[in-house]
Amino acid sequence: MSYIENAEQLTGPFGEALARGELTVQKCNSCGELIMYPKYRCPSCFGNDLDWCAVSGRGQLLTYTVLRFGAPSSFDVEPPYAIGVVRLDEGPQLTGRLHAGADGTWDHYRCDEPVVFEPADAAEVAQRPAAWFAAPRGS
Amino acid sequence: MSNMPYPQPGSASDAAFIGIGEIPSGKYPKRGFMAQLVEAAARAIQDSGLQHTDIDQLVLIPNLHGIPDQADLIFSRVAEELGLHGRVKSSMMVHSGGSTSDNATRAAAGLVASGQARNVLVVQSEKWGSADLTEMVDMLSVNGIPREWEGTSGLQFNAIGGLITQRYMHQSGSTPEEMASVCVALREWARLNPNAMWKDKELTVEQVLASKLVSDPIRAIECPYLADGAAAFVMTSATEARRNHDSWVRIGGSGGCVSHYSSGQDAELGELGWPKAAVEAYDAAGWGPQDADLAEVYDSYSAVLTIALEGLGLSKKGEAARDFHAKRFSPGGEFPVNTNGGLLSAGHTGVGGGMALLVEAVRQLLHRAEPERQVAGAERCIVGGSGGSYMDAQIMMLERVEK
Ligand SMILES: [Zn+2]
Repeated sequence: MSYIENAEQLTGPFGEALARGELTVQKCNSCGELIMYPKYRCPSCFGNDLDWCAVSGRGQLLTYTVLRFGAPSSFDVEPPYAIGVVRLDEGPQLTGRLHAGADGTWDHYRCDEPVVFEPADAAEVAQRPAAWFAAPRGS
Repeated sequence: MSNMPYPQPGSASDAAFIGIGEIPSGKYPKRGFMAQLVEAAARAIQDSGLQHTDIDQLVLIPNLHGIPDQADLIFSRVAEELGLHGRVKSSMMVHSGGSTSDNATRAAAGLVASGQARNVLVVQSEKWGSADLTEMVDMLSVNGIPREWEGTSGLQFNAIGGLITQRYMHQSGSTPEEMASVCVALREWARLNPNAMWKDKELTVEQVLASKLVSDPIRAIECPYLADGAAAFVMTSATEARRNHDSWVRIGGSGGCVSHYSSGQDAELGELGWPKAAVEAYDAAGWGPQDADLAEVYDSYSAVLTIALEGLGLSKKGEAARDFHAKRFSPGGEFPVNTNGGLLSAGHTGVGGGMALLVEAVRQLLHRAEPERQVAGAERCIVGGSGGSYMDAQIMMLERVEK
């Protein structure tokens, strides 16, 4: 029986989808559970028939912060930058980055308000494969 | 009552805290790791009334400042340093980050209860205050959070504090002034604690709010200050304790909940594992928040403490920051909380922050705190610890016992 053998196999499909501009989450083929972050076994049924599926990219911003000092040196981004925790409409939640608004700040974000997946450019995704979110247009 | 098989009070399997030791926390670059550890251990052994040779089990709490000192702990250097080589039965390490002191208590009590150990020394030493800050930021962002998932978003520990605080303030409607007053109350307690890092420095809400934003909505003074420090305690059985002591401290019960590993995965960052752990702890102990005389609860950020106090039922939901603002938890207030000054004002000694709170709980229940901050007639204390990205909520229900 085959199984996911290492972290590269586990996380690779997420980064590849981001590079295509798509947000995906892991899906258990046995029980249908959507899983984020991906696991070696389904946390619900404990099966290992695991796949990936695209999601709408719509979600709710549970919380966020703007880090202004003390970025990890390996991260190689000059602060400030914003981090958010998003609960997707499909259920799973994940940590990602928040785009700044037109004024260059993150002042327009609020907890529990809607956000949408808006991929970063290819170079950014290649270096730091994270999901980026923004406030819905027109809001 | 709990159906968990907790030991009968006063029995040979009922574990007892009989001694504590601590040295001052702060920036002490000349104080070495092992020197601190041996001094705290010696103070705890002396306080317990035992000889060092009575210790037959070492439970070591890890440091976070460096691998070589960690290796010294793992490979039993402490046994030799304390003159216990050839005498002590075993030397082991217990680790769960900020809740380590609670889990080390579980381990030590379990060893006593099961007859595996007679007198257990639990000891911790940390050199965070003298460590390179950039290295520590990197260590706590590359390790302790999921590298593949949250490292790519630039998460680090102050950002986790920011995420939790933002959520808490949103849910509770607490103002920046109310959040800042948590730091001020802890400073008022620290001013009464000779071991606290900030014992000589007053703090006002205005000072907190004037400090720069570090990770919105957290400001610089709301971030814990990394400190050097060491603490220790000795546990034995109630039957042993009775022989040489008029009073000791027992564990009425405990509760725990590991709610997540990654901060992005907790279903409710404004609550964490506290409500679930509290139900278990209160059921096990047969008493609850209304019966406690004081509480000592992990506080590496203000919201970490307010969330815990609400989950523990010591404040109404959403009201803990306002309770701090109304001085309810300050010296002279209705209910004493973190009487040593907590991590935010006694100093964040890594895994030792929880240890300092636990040792303060035992000190208060033994009635050995300095008179200015001793809680008169303290008999019951709720101790709360949390580790990593507040991944768990650990509760120890401590009770004073008199012969
Ligand atoms: Zn499944």
